[in-house]
Amino acid sequence: MNLNVDLMINSLPLLIVGAGITIQITAISVGLGLIIGMFVGIARICNVKVLRALATVYIDFLRGTPLLVQIFLIYFALPMVVGQRVDPFIAAITACGINSGAYIAEIFRAGIQAIDEGQMEAGRSLGMSWVQTMRYIIVPQAFKNVIPPLGNEFIALLKDSSLVSVIGFEELTRRGQLIIARTYGSLEIWITVALIYLVMTLTISRLVSYMEKRLATK
Amino acid sequence: MIDIKNLHKSFGGHEVLKGIDLHINPQEVVVIIGPSGSGKSTLLRCMNLLEVPTSGSVVVDGMDLTGDADINKAREEIGMVFQRFNLFPHMTVLKNITLAPMKVRNISQEEAEKTARELLERVGLGDKADAYPPQLSGGQQQRVAIARALAMKPKVMLFDEPTSALDPEMVNEVLDVMKSLANEGMTMAVVTHEMGFAREVGDRLLFVDGGTIIEQGDPREVFENPKEERTKLFLSKVL
Repeated sequence: MNLNVDLMINSLPLLIVGAGITIQITAISVGLGLIIGMFVGIARICNVKVLRALATVYIDFLRGTPLLVQIFLIYFALPMVVGQRVDPFIAAITACGINSGAYIAEIFRAGIQAIDEGQMEAGRSLGMSWVQTMRYIIVPQAFKNVIPPLGNEFIALLKDSSLVSVIGFEELTRRGQLIIARTYGSLEIWITVALIYLVMTLTISRLVSYMEKRLATK
Repeated sequence: MIDIKNLHKSFGGHEVLKGIDLHINPQEVVVIIGPSGSGKSTLLRCMNLLEVPTSGSVVVDGMDLTGDADINKAREEIGMVFQRFNLFPHMTVLKNITLAPMKVRNISQEEAEKTARELLERVGLGDKADAYPPQLSGGQQQRVAIARALAMKPKVMLFDEPTSALDPEMVNEVLDVMKSLANEGMTMAVVTHEMGFAREVGDRLLFVDGGTIIEQGDPREVFENPKEERTKLFLSKVL
């Protein structure tokens, strides 16, 4: 076996640009997921039956079907309905964002339910509405609880975002494929791609535990 | 001030309150005692609808909580102090006290903070405004909780075993605050195991057992001459 180190080094600039795009779509998707997840997570425990049911359906569907199929649904199936081609970037962040929204909703739900119910009672007994108590008392406290699982979700999505390579979106994995198509260096390129993913996920998990420690001392 | 008629409350198939009638006058201090599981805390929690009655009516300051009253509006007038304080741990003591007046009563921050500092002074914690609740002792936390409830300028105060979670040496600092509150004419309903407080401060003592009011009257009278067997039995164990 002969490892062509030059090929690995030469392909780095292209792959690192791809890694940047991977981080970009992950960050945008998690951002989208956070907004969706916050509302769906709260809807899941609110006392309006319809909202609770809708939230449950949303979470069940997105966690119960593969992300790859969801990407196909948005990129290939949706245009048949709306009669317009969907841009790969938009399709990628939409699929990933909607998907991670479901996981983040469950993270928020668990984080909120971990708060002592006396906190809600105290807020309500002071005349604050359910929404006010959620906003000023429960959610800010839940936020601390959800930092570690949110970090895990970010890492999971960063890896899963490699799936959007199948719709031709040029993030890290797709760039690797394209370089291999030119150079036939499967071994070198996939090792390099794997190492770049590893560096990214390890960095993020260190960052999260640092944040966790800082919040804990507060 | 508080008017309760034929109040029933069941949890699942278990009936905790079996028809309570109770009228509390303005400025009256009613102390509720009874064995654990007797329904005394549930009765108190029905007075601000933290527990929703199964049937019967609860009217506070003319607002029918079991009818068409706006429950958030009603709760502005009903302060509550919990056994486990339930302070907001992520906010300073000052913010704990000013939050509801600012968000609910739309009072300016300046004015809310002024009131909060006065209240802290009054409960003997003038120097703790910037502390966080977990940094305080249990007795201090409970006094902050009382200040927090008072900041809404309620017409009634409900106390749900306010000293039960405290170390013995901290009980009196909380009871003293409650005493001064009673002396100033606050209408109060107090669920407690502090018989000394009941005797000294209570205008009326209620003995609750098995979801009904077994006996009530002047505290000294009830302590010295309990009429019912169950009251006698209970008092013989706690006095």
